[in-house]
Amino acid sequence: MSRRVYLDHNASTPVHPEVVAEMLPYFSDVYGNPSSVHGFGRDARAAVDVARDRVAAFLRVRPEELVFTSGGTESDNFGVKGLALARGSGHVITSKVEHHAVLRSAQALEAQGFTVTYLPVDPYGMVDPDDVRRALRPDTIAISIMHANSEVGTIQPVRAIGALAREAGVPFHVDAVQTFGKVEVDVHAMNIDALSFSSHKVYGPKGIAGLYIRRGTKMVSIQHGGEHERRRRAGTENVPGIVGLGKAVEIRARDMKAEAERVGALRDRMWEGIRARVPDVRLNGHPTERLPGTANICYRNVESESIVLALDLKGIAVSAGSACTAGSVEPSHVLVAMGVPLDWAMGAVRSSLGRSTTTEDVDHVVASVTEVVGRIRQAMPVGAA
Amino acid sequence: MRYSPTLVEHFLNPRNAGLMRDADGCGSDEYAGCGDLTRFYLKVREGRLAEARFQAYGCGPTIAAASVATELVTGRAVEDLLILKAQEIEDALDGLPEDRKHAAEVAAGAMRAAALDALRRPAVRDEPGNREA
Repeated sequence: MSRRVYLDHNASTPVHPEVVAEMLPYFSDVYGNPSSVHGFGRDARAAVDVARDRVAAFLRVRPEELVFTSGGTESDNFGVKGLALARGSGHVITSKVEHHAVLRSAQALEAQGFTVTYLPVDPYGMVDPDDVRRALRPDTIAISIMHANSEVGTIQPVRAIGALAREAGVPFHVDAVQTFGKVEVDVHAMNIDALSFSSHKVYGPKGIAGLYIRRGTKMVSIQHGGEHERRRRAGTENVPGIVGLGKAVEIRARDMKAEAERVGALRDRMWEGIRARVPDVRLNGHPTERLPGTANICYRNVESESIVLALDLKGIAVSAGSACTAGSVEPSHVLVAMGVPLDWAMGAVRSSLGRSTTTEDVDHVVASVTEVVGRIRQAMPVGAA
Repeated sequence: MRYSPTLVEHFLNPRNAGLMRDADGCGSDEYAGCGDLTRFYLKVREGRLAEARFQAYGCGPTIAAASVATELVTGRAVEDLLILKAQEIEDALDGLPEDRKHAAEVAAGAMRAAALDALRRPAVRDEPGNREA
């Protein structure tokens, strides 16, 4: 295998070498429990505090408004359930294209007697703020809308939705796992009360993430135990992870803007290359309001898994937009909500570029996709899907 | 890799892929669960399969199963193909993961349908090689 190309940065990213270096002492040298009163514990506590300050500075929030969690999924569960359960009962507004961590949290609330509105999206995958306005009811107690969609990259109009939420006095949770450290997130201008963010999407370690909770926002914990994280999230802090997240965020503050421009240009080069060479393709997601590195492309009448497999055999890592599990196909809930026809949706392939992606990588991928899709289509029944 | 080297090899280099315009028999099968579709075209000489070509829509295993099936059954009596089993195709691929067994089932179903179509056509049915005219 000559060249390996990783285009799955929305799934996870390699830990930045500077982050690894920063974390290493916290496995073997500074191993105390931050809750312990002795010197070992105090050293660990100090490291956690430094990291918290770094994240707070990056988000321009107070350090005490941040809670570290085990991952984006926990943050989303905490954000959605924490806001709703603190209010006992009522109506929640979310969208059909949320991550499953939000969707299934909302479903769990429904099972407990809450009512939930799942807003539709337009063909670009975007929620209409007017739909949010119309969905608001006197008993609406929370709104949860993602910042950017992981599959198609569409960036939601969270600023407009936040303004509506604030006007209505309804707390607003935003799943920013895909945008944190990639594009600007301003919890003040966007009127965000709770914000999920994660480390391993931005070259930090896995197993560590966080939830910003605006001071004064009524929340209940979903994990109980000790007094950690100001009694909002029990469990011994993942000290090396928190240190890594803090360092990753510091690097993002430095590199984010330039990288977004570079990666965005590479992504456009890839799409233009594929569009020029492969017939019957379409780009999913919003043409401009989109994550810089994300390109979700449908190859009509080709099944996405066969493309992913063929590219994998060439050392190229992308992800399928639809999954066939035990013989039953599940077209992506995002593409279905966007109204993408089945014969297109079945052939959706997501590429997500990152800091290591080069022009040569992109040109290699364009050539490989052209060859692979052409070959698979040769064996394809005409018009079948 | 969760797929056998044989499967991968057939996926990368499918044998006998594409349309056959003057086939003596044609049949397809579809797996409703995921929309996988396989179609075979058969050329029959003296009751035996002289050539098979396929078209397939589906995941890698589906394409590989159709490819391996064309090689597996060429030369056999067409009427024997009426009882072709998915297991035989799966064995020819050196196995399939549990959640991809349907790839062999679709290929076997399509081959049985193509064989039936061929045997129903007078040109094939009345050939001397066919015992059961």
